[in-house]
Amino acid sequence: MKSTLLIAAIASGALVAGCAAKKGFEKPGFAFGCPIGEANVSSMDDLVKAKVLSEGRRTTIQTTEMRCSQTGELLRIDANLNNDSRSVKRIAYKFRWIDREGMRAWEEEPWKPLMLHENSNLVINTISPTNKAADFRLILRSEE
Amino acid sequence: MKAAIVVALAAAALAAGCATERTRYGDARATETLTNQFGSTDLQVMAESMARSMLQAPVIASSNLPIVTVQEVRNKTSEYIDTRAITDSIRAELQKGGRVRFAVDAAGMNPQTEELKRQQSGLYAKEHAAEMGQMVGAQYRLEGNIISIVKQVKDTKDVYYKLNLQLWNIRNGLLEWSDEKEIRKTTTRG
Repeated sequence: MKSTLLIAAIASGALVAGCAAKKGFEKPGFAFGCPIGEANVSSMDDLVKAKVLSEGRRTTIQTTEMRCSQTGELLRIDANLNNDSRSVKRIAYKFRWIDREGMRAWEEEPWKPLMLHENSNLVINTISPTNKAADFRLILRSEE
Repeated sequence: MKAAIVVALAAAALAAGCATERTRYGDARATETLTNQFGSTDLQVMAESMARSMLQAPVIASSNLPIVTVQEVRNKTSEYIDTRAITDSIRAELQKGGRVRFAVDAAGMNPQTEELKRQQSGLYAKEHAAEMGQMVGAQYRLEGNIISIVKQVKDTKDVYYKLNLQLWNIRNGLLEWSDEKEIRKTTTRG
């Protein structure tokens, strides 16, 4: 009985360690490759909430996924936008770049117009314009 | 009858005087859709997209501060586009990012040599005058084309723009980077 319990304990310990190692692929302060600082991000939804802002007219377009990777000294970002409505939607987006001190690392980007077909997904991607950009926000607005 | 004309003229003058003109500042970075001709949003979006793409080119990403000269972007569209404004914006974004250095281009060569000659004219203290033969040649040249396809049927006009840019290695003639940015705009009346 004791040996069975011991084996079960070791097995569960190994499992936990395995999971921890998998989670350990992410550097501290990053989630899905994206910088999160001190924010508590444990899921894709949390990440999207932390990174996506709405300015001007609100849009029904949803950001469903966001991933980042470091390309040299620059940050590459992919964001998946979803239009689950039965009509074409027109939006504009821009990225806002923030430095390590929380200040703007780059001037305000131009709004980039985008059209999403009905029931469709579209991936927008960008790269940080400068190595001073340590964080970012994706800003969406409706152009309807 | 004369009185009626006088009254009409007075009313017209009054109306003209009352027509107010209002000028306000706008957002230079907002999307502009006044007409479907090449506009500020197209210029900004194309320049930003190309500059960001160029940042990922291996010759630029290697952080060796490559020296680039900007050549012509040929306007092959059916409308007047100041293509220099596109390359100027790309150059400003790359220069600000500190990843590329730019050598004086063909358009800037005359003022550059004029200034060098002026400094060598004997008017300046020798230790503060720029010497001849010290200019640095570019390693890469940036050039490209912009084309448009315009189609119109009754009340619908469709305009498609494509900007293609290329970064050529001047020494060996190799194409180091190339990318395209497309924009489609459709205008419908009524």
